[in-house]
Amino acid sequence: MNGVVEAAGVSKWYGEVLGLNAFTASFGKGITGLVGPNGAGKSTLFKLLIGQLHSDQGKITLLGENPWNNVPLKRRLGYCPEQNQLYGWLTGQQFVETLLRLDGMPATNARNEATAALKVVGLSDAAQRPTRGYSRGMRQRAKLAQALAHDPEILILDEPLSGADPAARVHILQTISDFAKDGGHVLMSTHVLYEIERVTNNIVLIHNGKAIAAGNIHAIRALIDTHPHAVRIETSKPRQLAQALARMEHVVSFEFPAADTLLVRTRKPDAFYKELPQIVSDTRLDVRGLESPDDSLDAVFRYLVG
Amino acid sequence: MLVETAGLTKVFGEVRAVDDLTVKIPDGAIGLVGPNGAGKTTFLRLLLSLLRPTAGTAKVLGRDIEDGLAVRERIGYMPEHDCLIPDMTGVGLVSYMGRVSGLDRDTAMSRSHDVLQFVGVEEERYRKVAEYSTGMKQKVKLAQAMVHDPQLYIFDEPTTGLDPRGRSEMLDLVGTIAKSPGRNVILSSHLLPDVETICKYVVILDGGHQIAAGELSQLLSGATDRLRIDVRGDRDAFVRLLKDADFDADIGPSGLHVSRKPGLEAAVFETAKSLGAEVRYMGKEIRSLEELFLELVARTEKPGA
Amino acid sequence: MSITLPTYSRLEIPLLGRRQRVQAIIATGLRKELRRPAAIVVTALGAAFTTITSIVLLFFAPFLLPGQAHDLTFFALPASNGFVLFFVSLMAAVIGSGLIADDMQSMAFTLYLSRPITQSDYLLAKAAILAPLISMVTILPLILTALVAALLGLFSWTIALEAMGISLVVGGLLTLFYTAVTLFLSSLTRRKGIAAAGVFAVNFGLTIPAGILASQINNPSILYIAPWNNYLAVAGAAFGASGTGIDWPQALVILLGVTVLAGIVTYIRMKAVEVISG
Repeated sequence: MNGVVEAAGVSKWYGEVLGLNAFTASFGKGITGLVGPNGAGKSTLFKLLIGQLHSDQGKITLLGENPWNNVPLKRRLGYCPEQNQLYGWLTGQQFVETLLRLDGMPATNARNEATAALKVVGLSDAAQRPTRGYSRGMRQRAKLAQALAHDPEILILDEPLSGADPAARVHILQTISDFAKDGGHVLMSTHVLYEIERVTNNIVLIHNGKAIAAGNIHAIRALIDTHPHAVRIETSKPRQLAQALARMEHVVSFEFPAADTLLVRTRKPDAFYKELPQIVSDTRLDVRGLESPDDSLDAVFRYLVG
Repeated sequence: MLVETAGLTKVFGEVRAVDDLTVKIPDGAIGLVGPNGAGKTTFLRLLLSLLRPTAGTAKVLGRDIEDGLAVRERIGYMPEHDCLIPDMTGVGLVSYMGRVSGLDRDTAMSRSHDVLQFVGVEEERYRKVAEYSTGMKQKVKLAQAMVHDPQLYIFDEPTTGLDPRGRSEMLDLVGTIAKSPGRNVILSSHLLPDVETICKYVVILDGGHQIAAGELSQLLSGATDRLRIDVRGDRDAFVRLLKDADFDADIGPSGLHVSRKPGLEAAVFETAKSLGAEVRYMGKEIRSLEELFLELVARTEKPGA
Repeated sequence: MSITLPTYSRLEIPLLGRRQRVQAIIATGLRKELRRPAAIVVTALGAAFTTITSIVLLFFAPFLLPGQAHDLTFFALPASNGFVLFFVSLMAAVIGSGLIADDMQSMAFTLYLSRPITQSDYLLAKAAILAPLISMVTILPLILTALVAALLGLFSWTIALEAMGISLVVGGLLTLFYTAVTLFLSSLTRRKGIAAAGVFAVNFGLTIPAGILASQINNPSILYIAPWNNYLAVAGAAFGASGTGIDWPQALVILLGVTVLAGIVTYIRMKAVEVISG
C-alpha cells in the first residue's frame, strides 16, 4: 500500500453504462497525468476518489483511506472540477473565501488563506472583480486557488488547462510544479498530451474503464514492442550508416525518407541508444542530427488506444 | 492578400478592443494568437462583418468589410462554442446551412454528404445532432463551415473538448484544408503547438495591437548557430569534456546547448562513447511559438494587467 | 479512424441570391413546424374550431341575435370570435415562442449570422414562418365563413366578397401584430417557455383584468391596454358594426404602433447579439 491512489478491481456501472470495469492500478506520487479517450472512465475515477460515488465492486483508497463518507480525507484533498461556471456574482476573493468557510475555516483565516492562494495563482489583481467577468484562463486559476487554499496534500484536477490562454497555462503548470516540489501530489487529467509531458513523466492511461498502463512514459514506450521505436538520423551517408547499424539485432527496418535522412526502427530503444555512440564514433560517419519523433505520450497513446 | 487592414479600430465604451490595427496578412495557413482580451475575437467579428469598425478600413479577400454579404459568402466559420440545431439530423443541418449560404437544394444535399464523408461522419449523419458525441459535433461544425466551399476558413479553437484521438483527427482535417490550393485558413487558438503544426504564418495580437507577425520559420529561427543535445548519463562530465575540446557548451533546461563549430557532431559521439552516455536528441535549438509568445507578451504587458 | 479523402473537392458554381437563402430558411422552418405533432394539432384544432363555431353562428344568428341585421355588419361576429384569441395565444406559445429562443438557446444564431444573410433577412424569414400559421386562425376561418355563407345562399355574393376582403385586412393586421409580438418575446429569452408565458400574459393577463376594471370604474379607456379589445374595435369598425366602447382610430394606431415597435426593437436586439465568444 504505497501508492497515493490504490485501486484493486474497481468497477462502477451506471445502469448498463460503463464507468470503470475492474480498474486496477497503483499510482499518484508526485504529478500524475490521467489520460484517456472520452468516456474512458476518468470522471468516474475522480468522483470515486473524492467520495462522491461508491464503487459497485472492488476497493479504492486515496492516501491509504477509503474516500467514501470520509470527511477528514476530504480536507486533505483539493478538487478542481471540469465545469467552468462559477458563482458569477462573487468576486474571486469572495469565491475562494466562501468555499473555505464552508470547509469550516474561521472567517479571518479564510480571508487570509484566500488572498494567499489567489496570489499563488496570479489572480491578485483580479481578485476583487466578479467572476462572471473572468476569462476562461482566469476561471481555471480561480478554481485552482480554491483547491489550494486549505493546504491540501493532494490536488485532483479535471482538465485544469482547458480554454486557458498561453500565459494562464504557463502559470497553472508552474503552480502545479511548485506544489509538487513542496511535497504535494497532483492528479490531473487532460486531453492535450504535450501539456502533461511538460510537468511530468508519470501517466495513467485509461481506456474502456480499465487501466491500460501506469508509470513512466518512456518506460511504457519501451515496452510497446509491437510498435518498434522510430529514430530519425540526419547524415550525409544514410546508407552506410544503415549498414553499420544493421549489426544491431534489435533493429527492425530502415527507411530513407530523404537524401540525407535515415529512419531506423528498433525494438529495443534503450539498447539502441547505448550502442549508437560507439558505432558512430568507430565508423566516423557524420551524424548531424538525431531525434525520435516517437518517444512521446502522443505516440504511446496512439499505439495503445489507437 | 488575405486580409488587409488600415487603422482598424473598434471601441466599446472605454475599451479599445482593436486599436489602430494595420496589418497585411498573406494567403495560406495563418495562426491568430493572443492572450485573452487581446482583441482576437473582436478582430474576427470585424472580419466577419458582424461588427462595424469605429474607425479604419479592412478588406477580406479583396472585398471591403462594409460589404458584409460578399465577405461572408466567401468565409466558412467554425465557432468555438456549441452552435448546432439539436433536433436536425447531421446531413439535414449541413445541407440547410448550405442553402442558407446560397446553394440550391440539390447541390446543398450533395455537398453535404461529400463533406460529411470527408470529415468522417458516416451513418451517424442520419441521426439527430442532439445524440452526437463531442467529437462528432465538432466534425459537423467543420462540415457546415465547408459545405459552400469558401475561400477562407476561420477556425476558432477547433479542438476544444476533443480527446487525443479526436484532436489528432481534427488537426489532420484542418491541415488538409490548409494545404489545399486556393484555400486559406485562419486558426485562432490558445494551443500554440497546434498553431505551429498547421500554420506557416502567424499574427500575434495583444491589447488590440499586432505585436508580431511573420513566417513561423523566421520568427522561430532563434539561434541557428547553437545545437541542442539531450544526453542521458553524466551531463556535467559531458559538458566538461566538450569544453576541454574547446567547444562552448552549457547546460540548459531542455538539455545541453553548444555553439556550432566544425567537428562538433563527431565530438559529441566520441564523448558519449567515452563516457558510456546516450545521445537521445541532437538538433536545432528551436524556440517554440509558446516561448516566443510569452516573451513578446511579457514585453508589452502593462503593469497591473 | 474514418476516411480522410486525399482530394478535397471544390465547388465551382455561383451562389444563389438572398431571396433564395431566405426562402430556404422559411421552407425548412415551416417543414420543421408542420412535422411537430403539437404544432399540427394546435393549428388544426384552431382552424377547425374557429371556422366551425363561426359557421354555426351563421345558422343560429337569427335565433341567438334577433337584433342583428342581415348585412355586412354580421361578419364582425366571426371576427370577434373569442376562440381566435384563445388559439392565437396557443399557437404563439407552441409554435412562435421557440422560433428565436431556440436559436439563442442552441446558439445556432451564430451559424446563421456567419452566413451571407443579414439580421433583417433572418427576422423576415422567422416572421414568414409564423405568420402563415397564425393566419390559419385569424384569416382563414373568416374567409371560409363568408364563402360558406355565400355558397349556402345565406348572404349575397356581394356582401360575402366584401366581407372576405375586409377579413383579409383585419385578420392580416391581427396576424402581423401577433407575429411581431411573439417574435419579440421569443428574442428576449433562451427559454421558450418564458416567451410562451409572455404571450399568455399579453393576451389574457391584459384582456381579462382590463375588461373587469373598465366596468368597475366605468372608464372604457382602460380597454386600450388589451390588444384584443383594440382589435375588436378595429374589426367592428371595419365591418360597420356599432362601437365597442373604445374608438377605432386610437385602437388602430395602438395595434400598428406596437407591431412596428416590436419589430424594430427585435431587430435592434438581434444586431446586438454577440455571436463569437471571448
